[in-house]
Amino acid sequence: MTPNEAPRSRAAGAPSDHRHLLDVAGLEWGQLRRLLDVAGQMRAILATPERRSDELRGTIVATLFYEASTRTRLSFEIAARALGAELLSFDVGTSSVGKGESLVDTLRTLRALGADVVVLRHERSGAPWLAARAFDGSVINAGDGWHAHPTQALLDLSVLSARIGGADGSLRGRSIAIIGDLLHSRVVRSNLHTLIAAGASVRLAGPANLVAGFADLADALTREARARSGDAAGSAQLVASIDAALDGVDAAMALRIQRERLSGGEIDSLEGYRRDWGLTEERLAARAASGCLVMHPGPMNEGVEIDADVADGQRSLVLDQVAAGVPMRMAVLSLAARGELP
Amino acid sequence: MSHGVTRDLGTLWVVDPVAELAGAANVALRDGRIERVDWRDGAEAAAARFRAGGEPDLGDPTDLLLPALIDLHAHFRQPGAAASEDAASGERAAAHGGYGTVCLMPNSEPAADSAEILASMVRVDGARRGVRLLPIGAATRGRAGTALAPLANLAAAGAIGFSDDGSPIADAALFRAALIGAGALGLPVIEHAEAPHLTAGGEAADGAVATRLGMRPWPSAGEIEAVARDIALLREALATEPRVRLHLTHLSTAAALDLVRSARAEGLPVSCDVTPHHIAFTDRWIAGDRRWAWELVAHGSSDRSADQSSALDPTPEAFDSNVRVCPPLRGADDAAACRAALRDGTALAIATDHAPHSRERKEMEFGLAANGIAGIETALSVALAARAAGELSLATIARSFVTGPASLLPAAHASRGISVGAPADLVVIAAAATWTPSRATLAGKSLNTPLIGRALPGVVRLTLVSGVVVWEAPER
Repeated sequence: MTPNEAPRSRAAGAPSDHRHLLDVAGLEWGQLRRLLDVAGQMRAILATPERRSDELRGTIVATLFYEASTRTRLSFEIAARALGAELLSFDVGTSSVGKGESLVDTLRTLRALGADVVVLRHERSGAPWLAARAFDGSVINAGDGWHAHPTQALLDLSVLSARIGGADGSLRGRSIAIIGDLLHSRVVRSNLHTLIAAGASVRLAGPANLVAGFADLADALTREARARSGDAAGSAQLVASIDAALDGVDAAMALRIQRERLSGGEIDSLEGYRRDWGLTEERLAARAASGCLVMHPGPMNEGVEIDADVADGQRSLVLDQVAAGVPMRMAVLSLAARGELP
Repeated sequence: MSHGVTRDLGTLWVVDPVAELAGAANVALRDGRIERVDWRDGAEAAAARFRAGGEPDLGDPTDLLLPALIDLHAHFRQPGAAASEDAASGERAAAHGGYGTVCLMPNSEPAADSAEILASMVRVDGARRGVRLLPIGAATRGRAGTALAPLANLAAAGAIGFSDDGSPIADAALFRAALIGAGALGLPVIEHAEAPHLTAGGEAADGAVATRLGMRPWPSAGEIEAVARDIALLREALATEPRVRLHLTHLSTAAALDLVRSARAEGLPVSCDVTPHHIAFTDRWIAGDRRWAWELVAHGSSDRSADQSSALDPTPEAFDSNVRVCPPLRGADDAAACRAALRDGTALAIATDHAPHSRERKEMEFGLAANGIAGIETALSVALAARAAGELSLATIARSFVTGPASLLPAAHASRGISVGAPADLVVIAAAATWTPSRATLAGKSLNTPLIGRALPGVVRLTLVSGVVVWEAPER
């Protein structure tokens, strides 16, 4: 009888190698700066009449999304095409996944079909680490469970760096509020890493049941970043109210509130949520720095976590965020193909 | 019937938790029985040495002789999932781990709620090695938690206790009825203490690791509430049936162990065990930090500034489903509390919760993979790693693997220790040697352990059950 093989023994690529982008945890400003620079080069390509290069000609990029997505999936697909890659768009809904095919088997199938890069969105935290151990190519994390959303954090950083960054593009001296359901948010978990590394002071706030553990997490990330980068690192702290979070900030990011939090009792009502935690023009005018910018990873519940006039107004970077997704994801795909990801 | 072994074992470091003796001794076997135990410094010195922890001095023999180990909690997946493990491969794995006796949990498929299924759990086709396999019967029919299993029939068929392991008996009245019914038969209820309404969907212990990695939390209260309930019901059941006995398996939290400590001080017939992984691993293993629990600075939960000896950012080994287990791995404080419970006797045993799983059930997203670690071959080595760090003495280890678990079993299965005339139920361990778990070195069918590839102390050289060799390592 043959013993069952250990998963470990089947590991293909080590997730730490520079073909994968699993996480932005632990990156330093210099590494982030390089990603911003490459994204800038990609933006230049998109500004040419051809709007594309053939850098990834002959490369097959597969998008494997186990969870619904509009922005992330479309911008990865546009990015792959703009670099001349072949696109293999894998529809989990109509595939053998519905028949119980495992993630690992699906990845082996994609590899056998010639995929070089897999862009993976999954509802379970950590799935990209399993993928990177099983897939003998590049794995790009397009969002895993509540855990990480590296390209979202990178594109958010590129937008903030362009609008309020210093001469070096860093966010030193800038303060940024992130407000809402932190507990279930991969966006905030990744943004904390990148914003602190870029030197920003981050203030977190949200309903008590949806911020559990974040006071300690903010402290720990601040301490670790300081240990890595000294004074170049920023900081994060959890504060008690939206007013405290917005006090004098240069930018405020609202997180999407999911309606299932109502049935779970974590929030009382959408009206109450807007009253206590919504980004409103009145609140921004009263508390934030003049010219405070507003962000949202989308999709938005207008009139709940953010008012429509704020989301569509002068302050809003929401469409800048969407637009920044394409060059940043081009940069990630390009660096993945070169094996030069951080 | 195999012929009992005759062999001169030479001079070893002997630790006998039955007679409470430890010291260098020359031991010989004849016809499967212990013929000679010559304590180098005499029996009185050996008694004093055991009381002091049973540890040798520099220059004493490093090969250990212990009574064969007893595991209160293992899964050999027969019937139901024999591709992961069966009684024959489980017996081989147990023998390699130094075990002479293994109690098998009834969550086979179907569950062991009848005499026939109970018998099929321990059936070995072909030649038996001779490791004693003792079945635990299901406490409720189908382990479904709605009606009691036929406890008397199961006892008559050899059940040494009753459990719905894998699930708690959620219905409090039914749990009390199980305690009373089992107690009337002189047998324990072995409870998997978990409050499912608190733990549903949980992936990792509630805490800094779960917050950082975005894992669905499994709160400590999920264990504490269940243990508090079980003890309250035990107190009531005792008024009806004086022979009730409750054993809580795989406890993992300091607070639940404190509840057991208090209940025992009150005189209630309650005991518990802890697993090798809960004494030695922490939830940081999910992030890929594979330091032993005792290598982390334990700190009170009130002190949030201490113990940041390194970042918790996931390494390439992160989210390995081989560390997904129920109850989940916890922080260094809880692991330290599990070791303290072994030292003070609150926990009477290290029980493996050996849970072999096929690659298909483990090579999955962390939160979707089956719970469990295959641990019966590495349990002693993990305990010896704790010993090397000064965390567990040889006397504590011997009690936790032999006399402690034996105290839960019917008297017929009590260990007779290492005394002249006793049957040779023994294990010889090269404690100064190391080995590395791998497909080549493990004897079980499934390799779902995070210890693959890691050098561990303590090589089992020889395991004897009733005077018969069930495991012998190749010559050095």
